[in-house]
Amino acid sequence: MKAPTLFSLNKDKHFGQIVIAFVSLGFLAIFAAGLASALAVQRNREHTIWLVHTYEVERGISRVDAAVQGMRFARRGYLLDRRHGLRVEYAQARGDLAKAIGQVDALTRDNQRQQALIPQLKWLSGQLDTRLLLTMAQADAGRITGVGQRSGDAGSANFGQRIRQVTARMFAEEQRLLGERLVAQQTSIRLFFWALAIGGVLVVLVAIGSVATIRRYTFNLMQSRDELRLLNEDLEGAVRVRTIDLQRANDEIQRFAYIVSHDLRSPLVNVMGFTSELDAAATPLRTLIDRAEVEAPGLVTEEARVAAREDLPEAIGFIRTSTQKMDRLINAILRLSREGRRTITPEALDMAAMFQSVADTLRHRTDEVGATVTIADDLPQLVSDRVAVEQIASNLVENAVKYLQPGRPGLVEVTGRRQGARVLYQIKDNGRGIDPKDHERVFDLFRRSGVQDQPGEGIGLAHVRALAYRLGGTITLSSRLGEGAVFEVNLPAIFAGAGEKDA
Amino acid sequence: MNGQQPVNIVMIEDDEGHARLIEKNIRRAGISNAIRHFVDGTSALKYLYEDESGPALNGPALILLDLNLPDMSGTDILAKIKSEGALRRTPVVVLTTTDDKIEIQRCYDLGCNVYITKPVNYESFAEAIKQLGLFLSVIQVPDIETD
Repeated sequence: MKAPTLFSLNKDKHFGQIVIAFVSLGFLAIFAAGLASALAVQRNREHTIWLVHTYEVERGISRVDAAVQGMRFARRGYLLDRRHGLRVEYAQARGDLAKAIGQVDALTRDNQRQQALIPQLKWLSGQLDTRLLLTMAQADAGRITGVGQRSGDAGSANFGQRIRQVTARMFAEEQRLLGERLVAQQTSIRLFFWALAIGGVLVVLVAIGSVATIRRYTFNLMQSRDELRLLNEDLEGAVRVRTIDLQRANDEIQRFAYIVSHDLRSPLVNVMGFTSELDAAATPLRTLIDRAEVEAPGLVTEEARVAAREDLPEAIGFIRTSTQKMDRLINAILRLSREGRRTITPEALDMAAMFQSVADTLRHRTDEVGATVTIADDLPQLVSDRVAVEQIASNLVENAVKYLQPGRPGLVEVTGRRQGARVLYQIKDNGRGIDPKDHERVFDLFRRSGVQDQPGEGIGLAHVRALAYRLGGTITLSSRLGEGAVFEVNLPAIFAGAGEKDA
Repeated sequence: MNGQQPVNIVMIEDDEGHARLIEKNIRRAGISNAIRHFVDGTSALKYLYEDESGPALNGPALILLDLNLPDMSGTDILAKIKSEGALRRTPVVVLTTTDDKIEIQRCYDLGCNVYITKPVNYESFAEAIKQLGLFLSVIQVPDIETD
């Protein structure tokens, strides 16, 4: 039979490791992608914060401009109509300016370049304030009206201009930063999308890989299963072929036994028949000798007398006993072969009852020799051929009762148990036992063992074994000389037709 | 045909010894009818159906048939005899060594009149043949009466 080509365990183990590594790698990749995405989102948020920051700085700078503007407008207005409200407005704008500068200063602490401009801005705004306040004070004192006529005007305009320049520089700086940050944000968004895309691709790859691996594994498994099934069927087929071969061989033997025994009887009929003819013919010869002895004693020789009176009857006698024995043996073979050809009809059998009836049949004999037969109550049931099982049972129990150890009261025990789909019956005795060298021999036809003090042809156990085989079972013997014997019959619990003749 | 036409005994038996024993015992039983002996089925059938002195064309007969013949099965001969017109009523005694119930049953089913198992025991064999002789004389009666 060919060796099974299943996956080696080694390959299987490797396969498991590969799958685990692959899946772990996949999940690791997904995790990494997720982490990257989270990082990207985090960075994006930072960028956004920075963007907002930039916008705030810009707004602060705009407020500085607006405040400077407001101061100048308020002063101009004051110069024109000298309303007290405008002084208040001026003061407010001046406060706004200081606040705005402070805000910008606070917001741009991280930026060296902006910070460098802050003192300048402060100084300039201070100068501007001084100039503007001066012009307003001058106006209060000198009642100067009109714009651009005071010396402080040019100065203030100059300072306003310079402040504007500084704020413009700061604004430009912020714009530059804004541009940078926008680019950075876009980069981080791109990065985020890349990470997402790579993660997605990885997920898809892992999924495909996993599915492919599992599919391959499943396919291999299925293939293995198919191979196993095939192997199994092969095995069944092989068993079937063997069974058929055995069956054929058995049939052949049965036919052979039948033909041989049948054809052996033919010449035996002649031997017996003509022996009788010889016997019949010897009678007138003896009469002749008797008469000759009386009438002409000289004619009768000693030889002739012995031949007619002793040799002939003796020879005929031996021929008779031999042919009779031969006839019995041939009949035994015939019976065996006929038994083998009998159709098996399985039925449910109560084995305890069957053994009991066997024991009852032997009651007379067991009482005579003082033997006891005990049968266990829990003998397993059996579905098989009644006649065959009965013959097995009766032959074995009969043998147990028959071959006792002289001087020991016979004790025969019948027990049984179920073993899977088979049932085992044990017939145990304390009789004279069988020499281990004869264990095979006793099952052979016409073979016996031990002291030949019991009548028998050596057919019983051969018959039992043939029947057990026929029922798909076996029979084994364990025994030692003088220590009793245990015959164990192993039969299928339900006769499945194995070994049954094809119709 | 007329008058006391004797019944011919046709013995189909391949074993010369058996044939001789059967004949001896038939004679010993006091039956003197002519015995035609055939050792194979083919020649026996030829005689039965085609020979001028054969039972199909001439006179009543009793057939002693052995089942184990070298060229054909005795049951085939039995089936042929019992299924075809001319010899349908001819009594057939099957004489064989088989005492298999199934085979005996089959022979009776095919129409054999008597089935005798050849006994090894000479006495019972002679007894069987003697009974056969009685049987022969019994069947002789209607033949004589009808003729």
